[in-house]
Amino acid sequence: MATPVRTDETARTTAPSPPFSTTVHVGFRVNDEDVELDLDPRESLLDVLRERLELTGTKKGCDHGHCGACTVHVDGRRVVSCLTPAVQAQGTAVTTIEGVAGPGGELHPVQQAFVDHDALQCGYCTPGQVMSGIACIDEGHAGDDAQAREYLSGNLCRCGAYPGIVAAVRAVADRSEG
Amino acid sequence: MSTETAPPSTVRVDARDKVTGTLRYGTDRVPPGMLHAALAVATVAKGRLVHLDTEAAAALPGVHLVLTHADADELTSGGFLLGGGYGFQSFQPLTGDRIAYRGQPIALVVADTLHVATEAAALVRAEYESEPGAFTLDAPGAEALVQSEAIPLPMFADVVAGDADGVLAEAATRPGAVVIDAVYDHPAQHQNPMELIGTVAEWRSAGDGGADILTVHEGTQNAGAVQHGVATQLGIDADRVEVISPSVGGGFGQKNSLQPQTALVAIAARRVGRPVKLVVPRTQVFHDSSFRPATRQHIRLAADGTGRMLAAVHEVDQQTSRHDLFPGTHTEITSRLYGIPNYRGLQRLVRTDVQTPGYMRAPYEHSAAFAFESAVDELAVALGQDPVELRLANDTDTDPVSGEPFSSRHLAECLRRGAERFGWARRTPEPGSMRADDGSRVGWGVAVGCYPGMAAPTAARVCAEPSGAVRVEVGAHEMGQGLRTAMVRTVAADLGIPAGDVTPAVGDTRALPHHLTAGSWGTAGALPAIALALAELRTALKVPEQGPVDVAAAVAATGRDSVEVEAVYTAPGQPPQVLDRLRAGLPAPGGPEHPGFVTFSWVAHFVEVRIEPTIHRIRVPRVVSVADCGRVASPTTAGSQLRGGVVWGISAALRESSEVDPRFGGFLNASLEEYPIAVNADIGEIDVDFIDTPDPMLNSLGVKGLGEVSMVGVAGAVANAVHHATGRRFRRLPIHLEDVL
Amino acid sequence: MRPFAYAAPASVPEALDALVAAGPDARFLAGGTTLYDLMKLGVEAPPAVVDVHRLPELAVVDTAGPDELVFGAGARMADVAEDPVLLRDYPMLAESLAKAASQQLRTMATVGGNLLQRTRCSYFRGGAPFACNKREPGSGCSALEGIDRAHAVLGTSDSCIATYAGDWAVALIALDAVVDVLGPDGARTVALADLHHEPGSHPERETTLAAGELILRIRVPTTRTARGSTYHKIRDRESYAFALASAATAVALDADGVVTDARIALGGVATRPWRAAAAERTLVGAPLTVDTARRAGEAALAGARPGRHNGFKIELAVRTVTDALRIAGERAVQ
Repeated sequence: MATPVRTDETARTTAPSPPFSTTVHVGFRVNDEDVELDLDPRESLLDVLRERLELTGTKKGCDHGHCGACTVHVDGRRVVSCLTPAVQAQGTAVTTIEGVAGPGGELHPVQQAFVDHDALQCGYCTPGQVMSGIACIDEGHAGDDAQAREYLSGNLCRCGAYPGIVAAVRAVADRSEG
Repeated sequence: MSTETAPPSTVRVDARDKVTGTLRYGTDRVPPGMLHAALAVATVAKGRLVHLDTEAAAALPGVHLVLTHADADELTSGGFLLGGGYGFQSFQPLTGDRIAYRGQPIALVVADTLHVATEAAALVRAEYESEPGAFTLDAPGAEALVQSEAIPLPMFADVVAGDADGVLAEAATRPGAVVIDAVYDHPAQHQNPMELIGTVAEWRSAGDGGADILTVHEGTQNAGAVQHGVATQLGIDADRVEVISPSVGGGFGQKNSLQPQTALVAIAARRVGRPVKLVVPRTQVFHDSSFRPATRQHIRLAADGTGRMLAAVHEVDQQTSRHDLFPGTHTEITSRLYGIPNYRGLQRLVRTDVQTPGYMRAPYEHSAAFAFESAVDELAVALGQDPVELRLANDTDTDPVSGEPFSSRHLAECLRRGAERFGWARRTPEPGSMRADDGSRVGWGVAVGCYPGMAAPTAARVCAEPSGAVRVEVGAHEMGQGLRTAMVRTVAADLGIPAGDVTPAVGDTRALPHHLTAGSWGTAGALPAIALALAELRTALKVPEQGPVDVAAAVAATGRDSVEVEAVYTAPGQPPQVLDRLRAGLPAPGGPEHPGFVTFSWVAHFVEVRIEPTIHRIRVPRVVSVADCGRVASPTTAGSQLRGGVVWGISAALRESSEVDPRFGGFLNASLEEYPIAVNADIGEIDVDFIDTPDPMLNSLGVKGLGEVSMVGVAGAVANAVHHATGRRFRRLPIHLEDVL
Repeated sequence: MRPFAYAAPASVPEALDALVAAGPDARFLAGGTTLYDLMKLGVEAPPAVVDVHRLPELAVVDTAGPDELVFGAGARMADVAEDPVLLRDYPMLAESLAKAASQQLRTMATVGGNLLQRTRCSYFRGGAPFACNKREPGSGCSALEGIDRAHAVLGTSDSCIATYAGDWAVALIALDAVVDVLGPDGARTVALADLHHEPGSHPERETTLAAGELILRIRVPTTRTARGSTYHKIRDRESYAFALASAATAVALDADGVVTDARIALGGVATRPWRAAAAERTLVGAPLTVDTARRAGEAALAGARPGRHNGFKIELAVRTVTDALRIAGERAVQ
C-alpha cells in the first residue's frame, strides 16, 4: 500500500501511484466545443477558462465563492467557477457568457433585458449576473421580485445595479411564463 | 423598482459588450508567453524585515523570479498623489526593509502558472523585528495634527465664516435657542470594486535604438499617473510607457492613483523578458490599496427658536498613515448645506500604522453629511419642527463661506419634489408612531447632500471619416458611470447624426494625455472638451456653427482622407499651467470656488426603514432621491448612477465596516464574505428623479457631477429614519441589528 | 496551494480503497466549497484528494418512505432544498438548505459534505499571524481576546470559540437524524447528535468520524411534527451570509393549542449543531404563546457564555427561537 505522494519537496518528482495523478488529462465541452487539457488538480475552472482558454468574459472578483462574478453553467446549472476544481469538469458541458448568445450573435433574452433595463454599470459583475439570471429563470426562482432578489443575491454588484438586474430578470421570467 | 418599469429609451452604448462578456478589462489580457505573479505579504503590523528566505520559493519548478527589496534596486517611490507624486501613498514596498503595515508586499514571485506562483509566494519566509503600532483614532501612539498647520495649502485650510464660537456661546444662554452638540463616528471602509487590482506588463523594443517600451494593461481611473508614475519609478521617459485601460471594473476612488504593484510587475516582466500578469487577491487588496479612513466628527449647531440656524462648528478627526498626510475636506460641504452665517471647521489628521487611506466614493462628504444631517435632524426634533420644513427654511442662494452666488442650487426643489414623491405629508412626527401591517415599526427620514462642482483639464480628439462615421476620444476613464454613452450622445446630438455612427474611445495614453477621473468631474470635463473639439471640427469642415452636419459630404468636400481635431478644456479661470500638470499626469481640478461663482451638485434623500417585531432587523423597503446635477447628460446612465449611490449609502449605513484587531494591525475582515456589502435582497424600491436644469456657469453644456453626490446624505437619512422608528439616535455607523435589539 | 494528487474513482469501495492508500492526511472531495476553498487559503493542505462528487451511489434521495427520509451524501443542497416532500412536510429542512450560501454554491455543495463545513472564524481562515488551535493545535486562540462578534456563546472552551457555520445540520439534529458512514473498519451509523465534537481542549477534532470514513447517507425519522416547522436564520445581510443566530423549530399542537411535541436547535451561536432539549421540554404540555416561546428561548440559551462583542447573540438567539416558534406554530398541524 504505497503512499502516493509526500508533502516534502521530493513529491514533485515522485510519480503518484494509480489511481492518483498530479497531472490529470481532462476532457469537457465549453460552449459546445470539445476541450482537452492536462491539468494540475489545483487549477480552478475559472483560471482555466480565463488564462488557458482565453474566455475572459468570466470574471474573478474574490476567488473564494463570495461574489458570484465567476458564475458559469456546468451541465446547465449555475456554479461558481472559482471553487470548481477544473478536474471536476471532466465529462461535463460548461457554458460561459461567451456561449449564451445565438449563433448569429443575437442576444439571449436575459442579455437583451440587461441592456434594456440598464442592469449594469461598470459591467464587471455582469457576465456572472447574466449567467445567474438565466439559471434563476430556468430554475423557476424568478416568480416575483422578492424571490428573484433572493436567488440573485449570490452575485454582488458594487455599482448597485440591483434594481435593474431584478427588473431585467423578472421581465424575461414573465415573458417565458406567458 | 417594480418590474413594470418600461425599458429605457436610450441604451448605454457599451451595454452589449458588457452583457456578452466581450468588453476587455485590464487583466483580461492574455498575451503569448505570459507568466503569472503572486505577492508575499508582511504578517506583522510594523517593524523591520531582518531576514527574507526565498530559497524554497525560487527552487520550485516553474518559478522564474523572486523579487524582493534586496534586489529591486531600480525601484523608487512614485510619490504621493497629494504630495506632488502619483501614488496612493509615498511608501513603495520592496524599496527597503521597513514594514509600515500588515499586508504590505515583501516579495513578488513570477512563475509559469498562477498556482505555482501562489504556492511559491507562500513559501517565502520572513523574520521581522516587530514594533508596537497604532491602528485606530484612540490608540496610544496615534499622533494628531492640525491639518491646516501640517499642510499649509489654501485648499486644505479650515473653513471659517463669521464668529461661530461666539454665537454658539451666546445661543447657549439665549431663551428659546437650541444647541445640538454631538459626536459621530464613522468606521474605516473599503471601496471593493468588483474588479480586483491587477496589472499586465509587457515590454517591446521601440525599434528606434532607444529604450524599450512598456505597455501596462490595468484598470485605473488615472492612466496618466500610472504612465508618469511608473516612468518615474523605473527612471525611464514617460513616452516609453503606455497605459491601456479602456474599461474599469469599478473604481470608487480606489483606482485613482498609481498602485504599488504596477512597477513591481513591470520590473519583473523586464527581468524575465516575458509579459507578466498579477491579479492581487481580494484579501491583499484590503491592504494594497487605499480605504476610507475612520473619522470622528464633533458637530455643534445652534438655531433660534424659529429654527433659523445661527452657527455651526464642525471638527473632524480623520485617520491617516504614518508616512503620508491624507487631508480631509469634510467641512467644505457642511459649511454650504445651509445658509449658516457663522461657521467654523477644523480638520485634524491622526497618524496610524496603516497604508495611506484615500478616496472612496464621496470620500469626505458621505461621512460629513451623515454627521451634520443627523445633527440637523436632532435639531428638528429639539425644535419640534418638521425636518423638511427646517431644511427649506435655511436654504440659501449665496455661498455663506465666500459670499459668491451658487451657479445653481435647486436643493429646495429636490426637497419639495422628493417629499411629494415619497408622500412625506403622511408622516407623523412622533418617534415610533408609525406601524406597518405586520407590526414593524416604520421610520421615515430625510437628509440632504452636496458635492463640490469641480472640473479638470481634459483633452479630446474628434475625427470625422469619409464614411460619415465619427470617432471621439477623451483623456478620461470609463468606470461604469456612463462616460462613453454621454460622449456618444453629445457628438450625435451636436452633429445630428445617428449614435451608431459615433465610436467613443477612452483610457489609452497612446491617444491623449489623461487626467485623473474622479470627484465626479469626468463627464463635466469630457463633454465640454468634446464641445470645444466639435466647434473646431465644424470650422475644419467649413460647416455652420450649429445644426445637423452631413459628415460624409463635409469630409469629402475638404478633399482629405479624414478630418481630425483636438481640443483641451480647462475649468473656469484655470491658468494655462494646468495643462502642464495634465501632460505630466498630475491632478489639476478646479472648483468648487470658480471666478465669480461657486458650484455644487445637490441631492435630497427620503428613506423608509422598517424594523420588524421581535428580531428587529432593519430593512429599507424604499428610497426616493432627487438630484440637481445640472443638465442630465444621459438619463439612463444617470438614473443608474443615482440608484447606485443610494445602494452605497444603505450599505455604508447598515453593513460596512473594516474591522481592526489592534493586536495585529491591518484589517481583519478582509474578504467579501466578512466585509458585507449590500446584496440584491437588501435593496428595495429606489425611486429617482432629476431637476435637470442646466447649470448656467460651470460649462457650456450645463452639466454638473452626479456620481458622488448620489451617495451623500443617504446614511444620514437612514439614521434619521431609524430614529423616527425607534426614538433612538445612533451616532456611529454602521447601525447593526444588535443596536436596535 | 500545496500540490496534491488527485483521484476520481468510479465507486464508493474504490474511493475508500484509494483514500486508505493515500494515507492519513488524504481527504475526500465533494462539492469543493469548503475543502478547495480552505486549500486555496493554505488552511488545508492534503497531499492527496479523492473525488467523490459524482459517485452515483451517493446521489440517491428517497423522501417517500413511511419511516424515514434518506438523503444520499452526494445529493446537492439545491436539489434537496426543492424536494416536494420537504417543502410540504419538513419546511425546516428545506429552508435550512435554501438559506445557506448562494444558489451557485448550493448547486455545488452536497448535503453530506455540508455537515462537515468548517468554521468561518476569521482567525482560523486568515492564517498567519493569527493563532488558532483548530488550524495549528496548541498555537492558541486569537479570537478569545479578539473581535468575537461572530463567535459562539454556547459550547465554547478556553481553546476555541469558533462558531459551527452550517444550517442543515442544525435542522437535522432537531429531527434526530442519523448518518451512515463507511470506512476501513466497515459500516456504522452515527446519530447526528454524536457527529460533532465541542472544541474542549482539542478544537482540531471536529467530528467523531474516523480516518478514512465516508458519509454515505443521512437518514431522518419521519415525523408529522415537522409540518409545523421553520428554519429562522438571522444574518448581517438579508441573504448570502452566515447566521448571527438561527433556530430550527418544530411544534405539534393538540386541538386546544397545547404543544404535544417540540423540537428546537440553534445555529450561529454554538460551536457545534446545538440541540436545545431542555427548551423543548419547557414547551411540551404548555400552550404555545409568546411567553412560553420566549421561555423556551431563554432555556435554550441557559448557560451561554458571552465574549467581548457577542453578548448580544444571547438575546438575539432567544428572540430568534421565540419568533421561530411563532412561525412553526402558525404552520403546525392541530
